[in-house]
Amino acid sequence: MTLDWSIIWQHRGDLAHGVLLTVALSVLTMAIAVPGGVAVMLMRQSPLRPLSWVGTVFVEFFRNVPLILLVYWAFYVLPILADVQFSAFATGLMALCLNVSAYNAETFRAGVNSIRKGQMEAAMAMGMSRSQAMRKVILPQAVRRILPVVASTWVSLFKDTSLVSVIAVGELAHTALQIRSQSFRVLEMLTAMAAIYWALGYPQAKLVDWIHRKYGVTE
Amino acid sequence: MSNIATPAAPDALPDTGALPRKNADAAPVVVYDKVVKRFGALTVLNGVSAQVNKGEVVCLIGPSGSGKSTLLRCTNALETVDGGRVVFEGAPLPSKEAEVRQIRRRMGMVFQNFELFPHMTALENVAVGPITILGADPAQARAKAQALLEKVGLGAKSGNHPSALSGGQQQRVAIARALAMDPDVMLFDEPTSALDPETIGEVLNVMKRLAEEGMTMIVVTHEMSFARRVANWILVFDEGRVIEEGPPARIFDAPVQPRTRNFLSHLGWSG
Amino acid sequence: MDFDFSPIADNWRFLGYGLLVTVQLSLATIAAATVLGIGLALGRLYGRSWLRIPLTFYVDSMRAIPVLVVLVWTFFAFPLLTGVSLPPFWAALAALTLHIAAYVSEILRAGLSSIRPGQVRAARALGMSGPQIVRKILFPQAVVRMLPAYGSLLSVTIKDTAIASVIAVPELMRQSDTISAQSFRPIEVFTTAMLVYFLILFPVTRLVDAFYRRVAHLGRS
Repeated sequence: MTLDWSIIWQHRGDLAHGVLLTVALSVLTMAIAVPGGVAVMLMRQSPLRPLSWVGTVFVEFFRNVPLILLVYWAFYVLPILADVQFSAFATGLMALCLNVSAYNAETFRAGVNSIRKGQMEAAMAMGMSRSQAMRKVILPQAVRRILPVVASTWVSLFKDTSLVSVIAVGELAHTALQIRSQSFRVLEMLTAMAAIYWALGYPQAKLVDWIHRKYGVTE
Repeated sequence: MSNIATPAAPDALPDTGALPRKNADAAPVVVYDKVVKRFGALTVLNGVSAQVNKGEVVCLIGPSGSGKSTLLRCTNALETVDGGRVVFEGAPLPSKEAEVRQIRRRMGMVFQNFELFPHMTALENVAVGPITILGADPAQARAKAQALLEKVGLGAKSGNHPSALSGGQQQRVAIARALAMDPDVMLFDEPTSALDPETIGEVLNVMKRLAEEGMTMIVVTHEMSFARRVANWILVFDEGRVIEEGPPARIFDAPVQPRTRNFLSHLGWSG
Repeated sequence: MDFDFSPIADNWRFLGYGLLVTVQLSLATIAAATVLGIGLALGRLYGRSWLRIPLTFYVDSMRAIPVLVVLVWTFFAFPLLTGVSLPPFWAALAALTLHIAAYVSEILRAGLSSIRPGQVRAARALGMSGPQIVRKILFPQAVVRMLPAYGSLLSVTIKDTAIASVIAVPELMRQSDTISAQSFRPIEVFTTAMLVYFLILFPVTRLVDAFYRRVAHLGRS
């Protein structure tokens, strides 16, 4: 078996473009899914029953369905439901956003609930309103708890972008697999794909470890 | 002398006319009128009636679970009553949250677990109330906060976070934080129960000075010598009722109710 | 917009087989990954440094590489490297096991480290040996503490089996894709598939939560 590793160098432009799309998908998704998660969390905590029900169903559903299936479903169903043709990129982005928003909503909820009840009481005993107490006392503390979890969610998201390759979004996985099909350099391309993800993901995983250590709960 | 207070029956205000109480001729600051509070099937307050006059230090003593802390928390509506009412400065506590908030600004509360805000320095903890709630000018509020911290002996620690302060120091900051709102009454919920013995004294001293300055105080405590020396009036709780009340001298030296005697002897109080 | 669910009814056996494969692959993966993960954790915590360093590298690498990449490499590249060709199911099992085992080991390692050192001291004061302490004191408590994270890992495993569809493992996702393409009824087929996965996954997480609440006090020290 002869191996030709130069194939990787030859296609470095395409691979770089794939990496760019992977990063773009991750950044865009998180940019949407953080406020999205906040919105869903607020819905869940709303005193209005229908709203809190929708929020709960949203979270439970999108956390309990495989992402790859959601990607397929979005690809086939959304154009018919919305009567609009979405690009594969937009479709993949939407599926990722729905998935990560659900996880974020749960993370934010758990983070806020983990703050001792006494803190809210002390703030209210002074005469603060609930929203004042949230803004000045609860949320600043909750952010420290939430940050490490969101960092882990980010790393998962970065890896999950590979799943939108199944609907031909040109991120890294799809690009590498395309080059493999065209050049028949299977071992080289698949190993290169793994190596590139590793090179991108390993430092991120280590950074997340550092964040967990720095913001670890000391209470 | 028949002017020993009869045990408060659940449906009558106590007969305290014969015993001299501080500022008894002025309108009371807080009146508890047959207060009932239930948690599920458990009745924690079973018709408590009592009053707190201006400038009085009223100590609530009694066994754990007798309802003392619950009554305190009903005073500033952290708990809502299921029966009876709490009257503050002549008006019953409102039921609407927005209105209750206004009332709470006139009461200061100090918690057993201090509940300082850990992400703020001592100075910021004391200043956050006036700035956020009263809309005070931040520079002025911080100057006032510094003065209050100096008053409780922690002027030098104003830049420290709670994690860098001992329990006693944290509780003193908590007292300063409550005072920053210029309250008409201070509520203390077992303020020294979570403290190391060495630091209890520094907190009690601050409370004693506060009492000497004429602050109206309602204190739930197990510190009997503090109650004996500083309180003007004692309410003895047992099983959700006030079983006895009177000036500290009488309660501690000559309690009438056997359950009061029982409770005091269990604490090792030999009078 | 008319819906026609008949392709699902007509092919229920085909789809049912997919569900069976999903369940088989999930259970086999979680079993194998648990065994491997325990070995990895013990090796990392108590092994010599020549063992610890490559194991740490392996675990951290699995956190960095997507499941899809591991699956595809195991099925397409591994045979080229070693001459051993793995059928789709076994390639998927191998890849998923390697991936999930890394997470199992991390959870176990965190669980063991979270137990207060005072517990070890107390056990030593009683005269227990090192391995005895691990077996009788640390491990049982760690297992209880691990349960919530382990439960969510179970859920992740079931979801990851769906990715095995890309290497033609006939699990539920793959079967649904086939029927959807055949019948031109993607909405009905994929919606049904989503509901089936939800109906499996939702109780799994709930059951683990409920079980954990029952036994949580056993792990608290």
